[in-house]
Amino acid sequence: MFRVAVRSLLAHRLRFTLTVLTVALGVAFIAGTNIFTGSLRGAFDALVSQPRADVTVRAGASDGGALQATFPANLVNEIAALPAAASAVGLVGADGAYVLGPDGKPVGVEGPPARGRSWVDDPAISAVTIVSGRPPAGPAEVALLQSTAETAAVNVGSRIRIDTPAAGVREFTVSGLVTRGLSGGLGGTLTVFDLATAQQVLTEPGTVTAILVTARSGVSQQELADEVAALAPEASRVETADQSRDEVVQRIQEGFAFFNTFLLAFGVIALFVSTFLIFNTFSMLVAQRSRELALLRAVGASRAQVSFAVLLEAVIVGVLAAVIGLLGGLAVSQLLRWVIAALGADLPGAPLRLEPSTIALALGASLVVTVASALLPARRASAIPPVAAMREGAAPSPRSLRRVTITGACLLIAATIPAVLALRLAESDGERAAQLTGVAAVLALVGVLALTPALARPVLGLLGSAMRGRIVGRMASANAVRNPRRTAATASALTVGLALMTAVSVLGSSARASVEDVVDTTIGADFILLGPGFRPFTTDVFQSVKDLPGASVVTYVRTIPVSIDDAQSPVTGVDPRVVTEVLDIPMATGSVQDLALGAAIVDTELARTLRVAEGDSVSGTFVNGEGSLRIIGTFEPAGPVRGFITTLPTVDAIGTLTRDTAIYIALQPGVSPATVRQDLASRLAAYPSIDIQDQADIKRDINGQFDVLFGLVYALLGLSVIVAFLGIVNTLSLSVVERTREVGLVRAVGMSRAQVRRMVTLEALLLAALGTLLGLALGIAFGMLLQRVLAPQGISVLAIPATQLAVFAALALVGGLAAALWPAWRAGRMPVLTAIAQM
Amino acid sequence: MSDEGASPAARCRALTKIYGEGDTRVVALDAVDIDVAPGTFTAIMGPSGSGKSTLMHCLAGLDTATSGDVYIGDVRITGLSDRALTRVRRDSVGFVFQSFNLVPTLTAMENITLPLDIAGAPVDEAWLTTVIDAVGLADRLDHRPSELSGGQQQRVACARALASKPAIVFADEPTGNLDSQSGAEVLSLLRRSVDEFDQTIVMVTHDAAAASHADQVVFLADGRVVGSLHDPTAEVILARIGGLSSPQDSH
Repeated sequence: MFRVAVRSLLAHRLRFTLTVLTVALGVAFIAGTNIFTGSLRGAFDALVSQPRADVTVRAGASDGGALQATFPANLVNEIAALPAAASAVGLVGADGAYVLGPDGKPVGVEGPPARGRSWVDDPAISAVTIVSGRPPAGPAEVALLQSTAETAAVNVGSRIRIDTPAAGVREFTVSGLVTRGLSGGLGGTLTVFDLATAQQVLTEPGTVTAILVTARSGVSQQELADEVAALAPEASRVETADQSRDEVVQRIQEGFAFFNTFLLAFGVIALFVSTFLIFNTFSMLVAQRSRELALLRAVGASRAQVSFAVLLEAVIVGVLAAVIGLLGGLAVSQLLRWVIAALGADLPGAPLRLEPSTIALALGASLVVTVASALLPARRASAIPPVAAMREGAAPSPRSLRRVTITGACLLIAATIPAVLALRLAESDGERAAQLTGVAAVLALVGVLALTPALARPVLGLLGSAMRGRIVGRMASANAVRNPRRTAATASALTVGLALMTAVSVLGSSARASVEDVVDTTIGADFILLGPGFRPFTTDVFQSVKDLPGASVVTYVRTIPVSIDDAQSPVTGVDPRVVTEVLDIPMATGSVQDLALGAAIVDTELARTLRVAEGDSVSGTFVNGEGSLRIIGTFEPAGPVRGFITTLPTVDAIGTLTRDTAIYIALQPGVSPATVRQDLASRLAAYPSIDIQDQADIKRDINGQFDVLFGLVYALLGLSVIVAFLGIVNTLSLSVVERTREVGLVRAVGMSRAQVRRMVTLEALLLAALGTLLGLALGIAFGMLLQRVLAPQGISVLAIPATQLAVFAALALVGGLAAALWPAWRAGRMPVLTAIAQM
Repeated sequence: MSDEGASPAARCRALTKIYGEGDTRVVALDAVDIDVAPGTFTAIMGPSGSGKSTLMHCLAGLDTATSGDVYIGDVRITGLSDRALTRVRRDSVGFVFQSFNLVPTLTAMENITLPLDIAGAPVDEAWLTTVIDAVGLADRLDHRPSELSGGQQQRVACARALASKPAIVFADEPTGNLDSQSGAEVLSLLRRSVDEFDQTIVMVTHDAAAASHADQVVFLADGRVVGSLHDPTAEVILARIGGLSSPQDSH
C-alpha cells in the first residue's frame, strides 16, 4: 500500500505541491514564532551573564517615565561608605532627549522612549558598552545607540543637535556608538552623556536618578540591599541584581507573549483555511481514482487497506509540509529578529535553533491538519465497491445536503445566544462580553460554512444569471454548482479570510469614526501643543505661548501616573477655571469647578474598577511616594483625558517635577487659525520636538496609528486569503482534469481555446464571488457585533467602510482571475483528440 | 469514390498519418485518397487497427495529417491553425460520437444549439423545429442528458450535428453503445437526413448492419483503402469483410 500511496502522490505532483505549500504556510508561522521564542530563551541565558550592579537603588517609588524623580548626589557617597558596599556609582537617566534630524524634527521616537543617560565607566556594572569610538567626555560630546545613529544617519565625529529635557536644544559631537543589552529596553533612541553633562541636560546639577552599588566581597546582595534600603529615602526602590534580572526577563516575556499569540493566531487561521483545501484535494482525487481504488479492492485489498492508502498520502503530505514549514519558520523567525533589531534591541547570544519541541509542534500541527482533513475522503474511498472497477465512468451519486444544512442553520441560530449575551454584558463585564463575541463568531462562521453547499446553488444562480445569455457563461455557472460541496469548500476558504478582514475593517473604520467623533465633541481647543509620543515637555514652552495674540485661553495640563493596587492610572492636573473652554468633560456627578487642592474627579469606568464613589478617598503611590485624593465627582471617559482629574497644584504637590503634558489653546472668534499657527511656529522655533496640532492633525495622528495596526492585521490575514486562492487553483485544475472528455467534446463541436479559457475563468470568478459575498456578509455582521460590544470601550460609532470593502471584493475577484490563469490555460491546451479518444 | 456530379463535400489526397519513430513507428494511414460526394451517406469499415478512426479524425479536422491534403468543401484544412480548424469544425462539421456526446450540465435543447451558441450565430427556428421533429424528441428538450436513455442521447447528438446545417457530419460508431432497437432508430434518422435534408454523412463503424444503411462503404485495412461497395446490403458487406484478406475492387 505504501508503494500505491507514493506512486499516487508522484502522479499528482502539482496537486500535492499546492497542498503541501498551503499547509506549510500555516506551519511556517507557528514554527517561526516557536523558534523565535526559543531564541529568546537563549537571550535570557545570555542576560544572566550580562554586567549588572549587585544592588541598584532608583529614585521614585513608581516608574515615572519622563517624570524622573532624583536623589541628591551626595547620597552616592553615603551609600559608598556603607560597611557592606565596596563602591557606588551615581547614574542619571531620563526620557525626552530627542535626537533631531536634518529637518529639525525628532528621529525615531513615534512612541517608544527617547532615553538619555549618563556614561558609567565600569564594564562590570554597565549594561551600555562602546562598540566604536570612545565614551563621551565633556559638555559637547554624546554617544549614541547604534540604531539611533543609523536612524539619524550620523556616525562617529558627526555633529548633531539634541532637544534635551532640561537644557533645550544643544549641539553635540558624536564621540562613539554604544550597544545595550536586553535590559536596556526595546525600541526608541538612546543618548549617552558624561555624568556632569547628563545632570545638566537631563535633570539638574547635583542630582542622580539611580545609584549602582557593588557589594564588598563576602557580602550577599540581600545584605547589601537591606543596608541601602535603610539609608535610601522612602520614595525609592532598592533592587538586587537577581531581582532586576527577573523583572527584565518577565517584562520581555510579557511583551513577546502578546506578539507570539498574535502571530500564532494567524498561523492557526491559515492552517484552518488550508484544511478546506486538503479536504477538497483528497475528495476529488478519491473520486477520480475510484476505478483504480475499486481495482485494488477487486484484487483483494481490504477496505482498511484502501483507507490506509489514502491516509498514508495525507501523512506524506503532512510530513513534507512540516519540513518545508520548519524551513519557512526559520525564515519567519529571522524576519522577526530583524524587526526587533530594527527597533533597536540586540538579542545577544541567541542563535536561531530548531529545538525538538518545535519540530514536534510543526509535525504535530501539520499531521493533525492533513490527516483530519483526509479522514472523510479516506472513508469514502473504502466504501467504493470492487464492482466499480468494471463500471464505465462510475460517478459517485450526489449525497443529500440536508443534514449538513440543518446543522448549519442550527449553529447559526445558536450563535445568536452568545451574541445577545455579549451585548447585554458589554456595559458591565467587557472581558466576558468579548469572550462571548468570540464564541458567537466561531459558531456563526462554522454555521455559514455548513450552509454554504446549500447556499451555493441560489447564490451562484443569481450571480450567474448576469451571464446566462451566453453559452460560455451558462456552462461556467452550471459547472460551478455541479458539485455544491466542492464549490462550498473552495469558496469557504475565502469566506473565512475575508470575513475576518471585513470584521477588522469595520472595527477599524468604526474606531476612526469614534475618534473623530470624540475629537469633535470633547476637544474645544483650536490648537494643542504636544510632546513626541505624548511625552511631557519643559514649562518654558508655556512661557513662550501664554500671551499668544488672538488666543482667548492658553492653558496647560500635567499628567502623572499613580499606582493603585499595582495598576497604573493617569492623574491629570488642570486649571478648573478655564479647562471647560478647551475640553468638554462630560460630568456624571459633581462639577469641575469644585476641584481644589487634594480633590479629584474620576472617570466612571475607573471608579467602577476601584469601587470608589463621590466622597471616598483614594490612596496610591505617586512618583514621590504615598498620597491620597478626595473624590468629589465622576465623569464619562469619552474625551482624551481619562483616569483622575485634579488641580495643577495637587499634581505638583504629589509629583514635584513640573513638566507639562499638553497645552490647549482656544482662539477668540474671528481670528484666523492659519495666522496663529504661523505665530505659534515662530514662537516654538526653539522647541523642535513640540507638535502643533489642530483637530484635523489629532485625528490624522490617531488614525495613522490605527492604519499601521490594521495594516499589519490585513497583511497577516492576507496569508489565509492566499491559501484560499491556492485552493481555487487546485479545485479548478482538478475539475478541469475531471472534465477532460467534456472539454474535448465542446472543443470538437467548435468551442475555441479562448472560449474554454473564458469558461474556466468565469467559474473561478463565481467561486471567488461566492466566497467574497459570504465573507463580506459574515464580516460585516461580526464587525457590527464587535462595535456594539466595544462601544463602552470607546468605539461608540458604527462606520461601515464601503470603499474599503469594495476594494476587498475587487481584490478577491482579481485573485479569482489570477487563480484561474493556470487551470484555464490547461483546459485550453487540452488536446481535443486525447479527450475524444477517451470516449 | 465518385468523381461525378458536384464538387465533393470532403476529400483527401495521399493522406498519410504516422505515429512514433524508429522501432515504434506505426503507419496508421498510408496515402489514402477518398472523395465524399455531397448528399451521400458513406460508411468507413475495417477491422480494429485498420486506421478508420484516424481517417475520420483527420477528415474532420480533429487530428493533423503527417502528409497529404484534406479538404472540407473547397477549404484545405491541412496546415490550418488551431483557431481556424476550430472554426471549420464549428461552422462546417457536425459530430456524433460513440458515447459521451452531450454536455451533462446543459439541457437537451441547449446541447442541440451548442455549436450555434458557441458561434454566437442566430438560430434558424424553422430548421430547428424540422430537425427536432425528425429526431422525435420535442417533449424531452428540457431534460438533462442523465434523464435520457442512451438512444435518446444519441438522437439529441444527431440533432446537434444537423442543427447548424454543416457541410458534413461525421459519426464515430454512433450505434456502438446502443441496443439494436435504438441503434436502428439512430441509423434510420441518419438515413433520413441524407434523403430528406440532403445532408452529407460519413460514419465509421464495424457493424455490417449499420453500414448497410450507407450509399457507399469504404473498406480500410492496415491504413489503406482496400475496396468499396455501392448501395450495399448487410450480406454483401459481411461477405466482403470475410474476403478482405484478398483485396479486390468492386468496380
